[in-house]
Amino acid sequence: MSDRTLRSISALAGIAAPGRYGKTEGEPGVIISELAGLGLATVACRKGQAAALSAKVKQAYGVDLPASSHVAQGPKAKFIGYGPGQWLAVSESLANETLAGDLMAKLEGLASVSDQSGGRTVLRISGPRARDVLAKGLPIDLDSRAFPLGSAATSAISHIGVQLWQADDTRSYDIAIFRSLTESFWRWLTASAAEFGYEVAPAE
Amino acid sequence: MPAPQPHRLTEGGLIDRAQKLRFRFDGRTLTGYQGDTLASALLANGVRLVGRSFKYHRPRGILSAGSEEPNALVELRTGPRREPNTRATTIELYDGLDAASQNRWPSLRFDVLAANQFFAPIFGAGFYYKTFMWPTSFWEKVYEPAIRRAAGLGRAADAPDPDHYEKANAFCDILVIGAGPAGLSAALAAARSGARVILAEEDFGLGGRLLAERYEIEGRPALDWVDAAEAELEALPDCRIMLRTTVVGVYDGGTYAALERVNDHAPVPPEHEPRQRLWRIVAKRAVLCAGAIERPIVFGDNDRPGIMLAGAVRAYVNRFGVAPGRRAVVFADSADAFRTAADLADAGIAVAALVDARKISSPATQAEAEKANARYFAGAVIERVQGGHGVRGVTVRTADGEAERLECDLVAVSGGWNPSVHLTTHLNGKPKWSERLSALVPDALPPGMNVAGAASGQFGLSACLAGGEAAGAEAAQACGFTPKGRSFAQASSECDAASPIWQVANGRGKAFVDLQNDVTVSDVKLAAREGFRIPEHLKRYTTLGMATDQGKTANANGAAVLAGVTGRYIGAVGTTTFRPPFAPVAISAFAGHHRGPDFRPARLAPSHQWAKEQGAVFVETGPWLRALYYPRRGEEPQDAVNREVANVRNNVGVCDVSTLGKIDVQGSDAGILLDRVYANTFSTLAAGKARYGVMLREDGFVLDDGTTARLADDHYYVTTTTVNAVKVMQHLEFCAQVLWPELDVQMVSVTEQWAQYAVAGPRARDVLQAIVDPSFDISNDAFPYLAAGEVTVCGGTPARLFRLSFSGELAYEVAVPARFGDALIRKIVEEGAAFGIAPYGTEALGVLRIEKGHPAGGELNGQTTTQDLGLGKLLSAKKDFIGRFMAARPALTDPSRPSLVGLRPVNREDRLRAGAHLIPKGAEASAANDQGYVTSIAFSPSLGHWLGLGLLTNGPQRHGEVVRASDPVRNGDVEVEICPPCHIDPEGNRLRV
Repeated sequence: MSDRTLRSISALAGIAAPGRYGKTEGEPGVIISELAGLGLATVACRKGQAAALSAKVKQAYGVDLPASSHVAQGPKAKFIGYGPGQWLAVSESLANETLAGDLMAKLEGLASVSDQSGGRTVLRISGPRARDVLAKGLPIDLDSRAFPLGSAATSAISHIGVQLWQADDTRSYDIAIFRSLTESFWRWLTASAAEFGYEVAPAE
Repeated sequence: MPAPQPHRLTEGGLIDRAQKLRFRFDGRTLTGYQGDTLASALLANGVRLVGRSFKYHRPRGILSAGSEEPNALVELRTGPRREPNTRATTIELYDGLDAASQNRWPSLRFDVLAANQFFAPIFGAGFYYKTFMWPTSFWEKVYEPAIRRAAGLGRAADAPDPDHYEKANAFCDILVIGAGPAGLSAALAAARSGARVILAEEDFGLGGRLLAERYEIEGRPALDWVDAAEAELEALPDCRIMLRTTVVGVYDGGTYAALERVNDHAPVPPEHEPRQRLWRIVAKRAVLCAGAIERPIVFGDNDRPGIMLAGAVRAYVNRFGVAPGRRAVVFADSADAFRTAADLADAGIAVAALVDARKISSPATQAEAEKANARYFAGAVIERVQGGHGVRGVTVRTADGEAERLECDLVAVSGGWNPSVHLTTHLNGKPKWSERLSALVPDALPPGMNVAGAASGQFGLSACLAGGEAAGAEAAQACGFTPKGRSFAQASSECDAASPIWQVANGRGKAFVDLQNDVTVSDVKLAAREGFRIPEHLKRYTTLGMATDQGKTANANGAAVLAGVTGRYIGAVGTTTFRPPFAPVAISAFAGHHRGPDFRPARLAPSHQWAKEQGAVFVETGPWLRALYYPRRGEEPQDAVNREVANVRNNVGVCDVSTLGKIDVQGSDAGILLDRVYANTFSTLAAGKARYGVMLREDGFVLDDGTTARLADDHYYVTTTTVNAVKVMQHLEFCAQVLWPELDVQMVSVTEQWAQYAVAGPRARDVLQAIVDPSFDISNDAFPYLAAGEVTVCGGTPARLFRLSFSGELAYEVAVPARFGDALIRKIVEEGAAFGIAPYGTEALGVLRIEKGHPAGGELNGQTTTQDLGLGKLLSAKKDFIGRFMAARPALTDPSRPSLVGLRPVNREDRLRAGAHLIPKGAEASAANDQGYVTSIAFSPSLGHWLGLGLLTNGPQRHGEVVRASDPVRNGDVEVEICPPCHIDPEGNRLRV
């Protein structure tokens, strides 16, 4: 029955092809890669279950749930705070819908979980000019003194809502955008990155 | 071959004589050097006449050397990059620059409309208001077009701007505005402390006035100090120097707007680079070091080319190595300006005389005159100017009343300096009058802003250096940094207080107060006589202080003249309000990336790519692009829609409904929340079932409708209309967070997560059976109308299935994670081919629901109640809900309210039009007889004629009656029969098969 199965398709299909674009001299200032296949799910604490939820997440995923806009990185998943009692869970190993299923099973009665793995495009923006590109849209300060490693933010770029967190300490940022707005975001991103030269890496 | 540069000095200046640049002005090819502005290059070539004035078309030259320039406005570049009203004094020269003078016809030297100046009495202050008052009808057709041809300045480009503009954000501890001596000192003090510093400078080099003067700091040329400061700032990791960047506005919360002219100094921006970038800079503290702007003295014919601010003369000589004239007269009322004589003389330019307007003879100035080999006239003024297209001489009225004529081609004039206080006033601060300086100085400052140097009224160089350093250190301290030791740089120049004369009384010729707007002393006097006695009124009446320079060289003199005329103390006259932007900003910079297709983001549905391949025509619904219809080759739009509708009625169709708002509402109290939000009840809905619901606003009117499915006891899946998705989400969040925080309810938008397709038509189940995995029974018994559940499709893909119908046919909605959306629509169409499936767009969707009589956008218009829409029976009497009480108000329950009816043309050939008003048959089409209107229309292929929905007084009681649908705007006046809204299967049998 393999021909019956549905093929997952990136919102960037037909829009972003791997390669070098914009200014061609020198090393690319910006590297853009899509983090495809991530497990993504929203986790919202049930009434009066904050302590129990924290304990369960600690036990099941090995992380302390952050109380504010921060990333808590665990071995299987990271939890990103985006509102009081609300987190976006992100996982590479628990890919796509698996993460939501895993969370629903483990956090039953403690949190409301909704799968979002199909509803977001997640891009990793790195390279020496990553911050300069983001500055053309993001109205928040990414300097490490204001946005240290582990910070996360919900904001807007080019009138498009984004969730953003620092991927590692090499000035690399992961940005989740609504799937339907991927093409508009991509037009802004590539127009803004062109002057630095950018590379579209193959999807991870 | 371009001519050599006859007015270029043989040596000196900050230009690079090794880099010759060719440029064109009014078609003539000329040369300049790297480091020139267009103004300095024109002067180097002996071009003094560069434009014609706004109203009188008077010949004009170059007054200043900065962004305050009122006269030397040119059209820069050609074709789609042509930009009008650019200031030659701020345009950095580049090879290939092409500029043209403005506001002249047929040529700059001979201009027909210069005759205007002889009719000056007609064109006095407020002439627009007085002259063109009657007949009224003439304004639009005759007067305004004529004025527009005669006045105005440059021409905008008539093609879209091919360049890219962008916006950007920057953050720092301390923003230093201006990189003159004070700004550099402030930046050094701030950056040395470790603070993050942005130094924004309008010019293309650091130094400010130091570039234009021959000052010394610590016993060495001031420019050495500038170079050292620049090197140190560049070496500090957290200091960013932004050249060609003008801070144009101050906003709340330490936010500043700045325009960076990234590539205005290139004919075409390098590939991939923007032309300009509009910055939003957020700074904890700001130090304003914007310097000061010199003011002219008002005297007869003071607008002639060759009359230039003294500071500008020094800039052209010292910075640009240009002789702005061969024989100069310096006319000023302060000692500072007479330094110009030495600079001129040392550059080999003859100085005819120093005309000192101060009453008491100054030995120091007399000595300056002797050193420059110039005559010295103390207590004297320039009374007349000879020369039309350029100064040829001046008549000096000496202290003892004698008139003496002096030959000269350059008049360096100074009436003192005005601190650039503009940015201190953008948050409503008012500057105050300084008696010592005879100028406005900053008073109350925007939060977080400090002022130093000339902008604060500290005119001496030592004071600028010390003040800047102190302000920078103070700002650093305020941000939590510890300033390093002070340097106390000592400098050469000191400045004295001013005692300006403002204007020369009893002069001859037109005495201009505002050169850009052609406002003269007589205009100000006339305005004052007519009662416009405060600066804001004076500005509106005379245009003094308007346009690109916003009166930077005119406002102070205007206030002084007004004070004189009205017999008031100048400090009491006040000033106009300086608003952002400080300097002109092109609209393209404000638009940035958001032009054309990027004007605003577009949301694309999961089937978008597939629909594009099918040749769909798209329509904007809210932020979404949705397929309107799918025309086949050679098919007219109406035919396509008719075919799509008929196919749903007869076979099966598929439509992307992913754009509907989808909200996961979870928690043990989810049902309670929905009961309170919806007019009908959801807590009683069984898991695995869906129900149509209506929610009201607090005021009792309908907010939105949609279907909600209960997936589990503690999990509902709410759908909203596409357009109201955000509003409903906000409403639910408000209810949960503010009204009933005690409820255990969590909600999140899952609109993006699910690609959802409606499959509708008699063969819908056949199609779905090929899609839904066989382990799920979707037979009519197992999965009846309004069933809902989680299934898998196409071999294991998780999905949600709903048996809902908007068309009135057997129908399902199937949802999969959006990443499978593209594959699913292809699979549905592939599997459905055997059953005659065809996609249908929003147009067909609309026809289907009008045939079925379902209210939608045209009826859910914020002015209708559930009763109006025939949904009154949905209102639950067993519970409270938002809007219940207000919906019971008498006016909202009045049975005569216009209510939903179906409409069909009596003559079946007639076309209906939405918006037509319903008038009783035989009655006049007047507001008094208005009984409602047509809300939605469609051509019904099922019935073969047009159909409508409408809201009509006592509508449901009037089925069978004939009324007029009157549409005077589109000449439509047809008779329509009132009927029940539902035309297809009113019993709903087709839904349940």
